[in-house]
Amino acid sequence: MHGFAMKKFLLPLMLAGLGFLAGCGKSSGPNGDSLPAGVKKISIALMPKSKGNAYFISCKAGADRAVQELGVELLFDGPTDPDPARQNEIVENWITMGVDVIAVACENREGISTALRRARNKGIKVVTYDADARPDARDFFVNQATPEGIGFTLMDEAARLCGGEGEFAIITASLTAANMIEWQKYIEARRAEKYPHMRMIALRPCDDLKDKAQSEATALLSANPDLKCIMAICSPAVPGAAEAVKQAGKAGKVQVLGLGLPSENRRYVHEGVTASVILWNTENLGYLTIYAAHALARGTLKPGDASLQAGTLGTLPIVGDNILLGKPVVFTRDNIDQFDF
Amino acid sequence: MNRPGIKTALLRHETVLLVVVVLEWFCFNAMGPSFGSLDNTFDLLRHSVGIGLLALAMTPVILTGGIDLSVGSLLGLCAVLFGKFWRDAGLPIPLAAAVTLVCGAAAGGLNAVLIARWRLPALIVTLGTFSLFRGLAEALTHGVDTFTNFPAAFLFLGQEHWLGMPAQAPIFLLIAAGVWLLVHRTTLGRSFRAIGYAPEGARYAGLPVSRRLALVYVLAGIIAAIAAIIYTARLGQAKADAGTGYELLAITAVVLGGTSIFGGSGTVHGTLLGTAAIAILNNGLVHARQPREVAGMLTGLLLILALAGASLPKVLAQRWPRRQNAPH
Amino acid sequence: MTGGKIKLRDWSAAVVLGVLLVLLAVFAPAFYQPQPLLSLLAREAPALVVACGAALVIICRQIDISVGSQFAVCSVAAGLLAAQGLPLLLVVPLSIAVGTLLGAINGVLVAGLRLPSIVVTLATMVTWREGLRWLRQGQFVDLPDGTQWLGLSQTAGQWTLIVAALLGLLGLVWATQHLALGRFIYAVGSDAEAARLSGIRPQMITFLVFVLMGALAGLAAVMNLVQSPQVDPKAGTGLELKAIAAAVVGGVEITGGRGRLWGVLAGLLLLACIGPALTHLHLEAYWEKAIQGGIILLAVVADGWRHRK
Repeated sequence: MHGFAMKKFLLPLMLAGLGFLAGCGKSSGPNGDSLPAGVKKISIALMPKSKGNAYFISCKAGADRAVQELGVELLFDGPTDPDPARQNEIVENWITMGVDVIAVACENREGISTALRRARNKGIKVVTYDADARPDARDFFVNQATPEGIGFTLMDEAARLCGGEGEFAIITASLTAANMIEWQKYIEARRAEKYPHMRMIALRPCDDLKDKAQSEATALLSANPDLKCIMAICSPAVPGAAEAVKQAGKAGKVQVLGLGLPSENRRYVHEGVTASVILWNTENLGYLTIYAAHALARGTLKPGDASLQAGTLGTLPIVGDNILLGKPVVFTRDNIDQFDF
Repeated sequence: MNRPGIKTALLRHETVLLVVVVLEWFCFNAMGPSFGSLDNTFDLLRHSVGIGLLALAMTPVILTGGIDLSVGSLLGLCAVLFGKFWRDAGLPIPLAAAVTLVCGAAAGGLNAVLIARWRLPALIVTLGTFSLFRGLAEALTHGVDTFTNFPAAFLFLGQEHWLGMPAQAPIFLLIAAGVWLLVHRTTLGRSFRAIGYAPEGARYAGLPVSRRLALVYVLAGIIAAIAAIIYTARLGQAKADAGTGYELLAITAVVLGGTSIFGGSGTVHGTLLGTAAIAILNNGLVHARQPREVAGMLTGLLLILALAGASLPKVLAQRWPRRQNAPH
Repeated sequence: MTGGKIKLRDWSAAVVLGVLLVLLAVFAPAFYQPQPLLSLLAREAPALVVACGAALVIICRQIDISVGSQFAVCSVAAGLLAAQGLPLLLVVPLSIAVGTLLGAINGVLVAGLRLPSIVVTLATMVTWREGLRWLRQGQFVDLPDGTQWLGLSQTAGQWTLIVAALLGLLGLVWATQHLALGRFIYAVGSDAEAARLSGIRPQMITFLVFVLMGALAGLAAVMNLVQSPQVDPKAGTGLELKAIAAAVVGGVEITGGRGRLWGVLAGLLLLACIGPALTHLHLEAYWEKAIQGGIILLAVVADGWRHRK
């Protein structure tokens, strides 16, 4: 009994201990090379809406480039699924760790703002990118496109493809995704104002999954014979919808457009299934965010400034507290090969 | 051999888990200098409350041999209902909260009727209500409606400090103490374990099994509603997606805490330790600058190790009985 | 396990499905256009394969909630192999092999170490999913041109997948009724101790069921992969719930030992048709989850009804 009991006690302990020691050993690497002492590197914490999302990985690629040029330290982490409560937790952890700047793509405007305000009270600079928080919760917003700009561009492009009249449907990530709800608002506003002959007939969620988007689009196509355009406003939905249109043999008859990465849609754009993909240069977005964060920490970027010097991007304008990346790019067959993200 | 002594106390699952938690603590403390600070300890406490409450709700359920997959969805539904009562029905916050608790109890009651009264399998009933409650939350708000601009006095509950600790911590500790007393110091609590250990036996022994089971699910509903209100106060908003996936984290915490998934044995302090182990892992890995995915993987690994650690010796003993008998 | 009289419960999913189909025929005849219907069925073929596996696991009185993650790992592995230029003839067995391995891990933990399957598969679900996220970071895998539709035409490819899934179902139905191994699953699921006393090795059966589940997930991954030119590493998210719900709605009892695989077909088709049905009836999407939950509850209440009688 004795030996048996001891084993029961020791085994999980030893294994757990081993696991953590392995973890310890690994982490000492990146911590160890932050020398030389005396000069404290500026540390910037960058948060995506969720991990494992190709869009934010492409942002991070740009951020990494800026980090190399500026010699700052980058922390990149976020929730594995878009969850405002988890975003808060990580921000609060970063506050305790005492990073210099926090840069967040906000899943949820209201939810994240409480944590960001706390960061500002502690003297940490806060930048938002991709999706904004409440204005009083951050110093600057790296604005790649306003919800208004995105919504209007999508609607204009859809109207152009459909000739200003006909039915269209929207595929979204989930019914509760905050930024997509915001875009839909502006899509509808633009439609009501400029394209009264366009009619939105359905809104379907795809859970941010390409396969589900494909199934949803297939059903939309068969249920609505007069459908002229599918607007996919989350990135996996664009190739998913395009594949459905292609398989239904309706390429060219039903237009696909949406917000997505050029790399995931190149094939369909060349085949003529997807008419246009709208996005900003995501790598530049990450790059600019790090430059803005760095300038803010250095004190070279202050409220009221009219422009920011951002490395290879040159000088970018600041309007109010929004740093403008520039207009969204509309990728079509003619220009999509110039972008490799 | 059966004498309860210091040795058996040392060998209890909870003791081992406590050692693991302390080990985690020291390990992360060595890896991230700010991990051990008071601020971070408060953060840890604050972040544990959501999952911790659901795990507390889940513990009696699992003790009776059941399971409740619907608590995360119910959190979302209650958050939305709370927002509706306050903003749309114009109820004052305390009244809105009270009505929300009633709704939580009613939703738990639906589970209770199906599971306790009609004796349907808990796993499938709550899989159904998991979908149903989330669906209702989305249908009520069309997914779009978000409730914000709550009064500061209410947000205090989730964001400020009280008695030197995060304001939600006293509530959490109070509920933890309540559930602990219920499970460990009342005949009711003992009956939960009896039902989980042998439901037929409990019935023959004269326990009102259906009523006790119903109580457990209604209680889970009420605690999920409390969790919803605290969640809303912490984020300053209520939306239909609140608490997505939390049910699995709560189950993980309970099982890691040593409660048998088949029911019959387990403790509330084990659940608290399980919650702490997961919270420290999630928090510590940020301080150790490890990506979030690692936290998920290590949680899975820890879960299997905790179970295997308890089960492996038994299996070995069965397979090679002679070697174990030799010393006798 | 097999009663003489016809049981309403075995047909209840089929009846509800029939009602839904009639509703659609009256209010949305467009649902029955051949090409979209073929697409719908082909899209659900992989889920059918997974649901059959899930049903067997449940009949064996276990549960496997890691199938979605297994499916994702197999999809990405198969995708990467295909992208390396491996012919599909090799990719299919390799994907099944990966699935078998993942299933065997569950099997060893559940049957070998006697750990509760719900906890084991909860742990492996999280571990595989997060591991995959860590490795792939959400990047799609681009497949070479000949992969889609197994190199056939689209219609032929879709028919192949549907027929393959149905053949798989038929094979499993036959195996559960006529092979000793198949009947052992029911025996172990209804009473493991009695099964042991009659000379069956319950742990071995349990292990094999988990291995089979993994293999089926690997097969399903390829069946899904050939339907589009890219692999989403998040593939299969939520598949475990769909598979379990399909099995239960189809009449497989969660307490083990009872249920027919035929029912799974009806259960899966019923769940799969709700979304398209809402689209065709032009109803709003936000009712979908509530309706799904309602159907699961109805199915389980029907179960209880039978027992009370």
